[in-house]
Amino acid sequence: MQPRDKYRIALLAAYALGLHGFESLLPTPIPWLRLGLANLITLITLLLYGLRPALMVTLIRVILASLFAGTFLGPSFILSLGGGLTSTLAMGFALFAAERLFSPVGLSIIGALFHNIAQLFLAYFLFIQRIEAILLITPVILLLGTLTGAVNGVIASLLINNLKKTAQKIQNGN
Amino acid sequence: MSLRKLLSSTTSADRILFLLLLLLSFSGILFVREVLPGGRTVQIEVNGRPAYVLPLDKDRALTVEGPLGKTLIEIKDRRVRVTESPCHNKLCIQQGWVRSGTIICLPNRVVITVGDHDKSTTVDATTG
Repeated sequence: MQPRDKYRIALLAAYALGLHGFESLLPTPIPWLRLGLANLITLITLLLYGLRPALMVTLIRVILASLFAGTFLGPSFILSLGGGLTSTLAMGFALFAAERLFSPVGLSIIGALFHNIAQLFLAYFLFIQRIEAILLITPVILLLGTLTGAVNGVIASLLINNLKKTAQKIQNGN
Repeated sequence: MSLRKLLSSTTSADRILFLLLLLLSFSGILFVREVLPGGRTVQIEVNGRPAYVLPLDKDRALTVEGPLGKTLIEIKDRRVRVTESPCHNKLCIQQGWVRSGTIICLPNRVVITVGDHDKSTTVDATTG
């Protein structure tokens, strides 16, 4: 790995960490609802640099965020780690297995979906073990995840287009 | 890049996925209650004391005596309802059939709960 890549990963992980912290400050109508803003950075990393950097950014973000919040190795850390890694892998798979099938918006929705599926499975097997409770909450989580995923996808596409424009400008010497 | 341009840059796979998930979750929200296994027993409390624990899968009707008078309760097709009550507002009757949760008649102090009640801790089913 080039030093430049390391800097990139560190910088992107810092962005993700910042967004992660920021969104946990936002009041939401339901306590466990998260906007998934940190997933923005994962998606952008995936699209610009590939799956491995995206996985590293996710790992760094999840571990550091839990260390700062004091939840390292706790239930919310396990949920966060499982959701983050699964969603990154799912987005990577969707991107590389079927190129150009999904735009960033679709990828973001897939990421949100697999994030939620992984968390529901983990929550069921590790913590709750009441299938009625999980079944009852699944469609609601699915709906919210699809909506936030789509919004994040739109933001990610805007960001990527802007980044590409800026990169072009720099190359043209302006 | 305008938002409209951006939306037109989404692929049809994106849109199909989005709509499919919306459809799935909406139908899930609407139907999951029907599919869920309901409770197995009905517990009836009168005046703050558990009076009966009855199996939900045996159809029957019974009367309990509260402070105001007689409340008629019916169990049928794994559901419970209050058919007659001496209270004023009749909220318990308006609530209709219940598969899970509770029916509460405050005036007559009758609480009907559908759930899994451990029979060993309370009175067995008896005749009304």
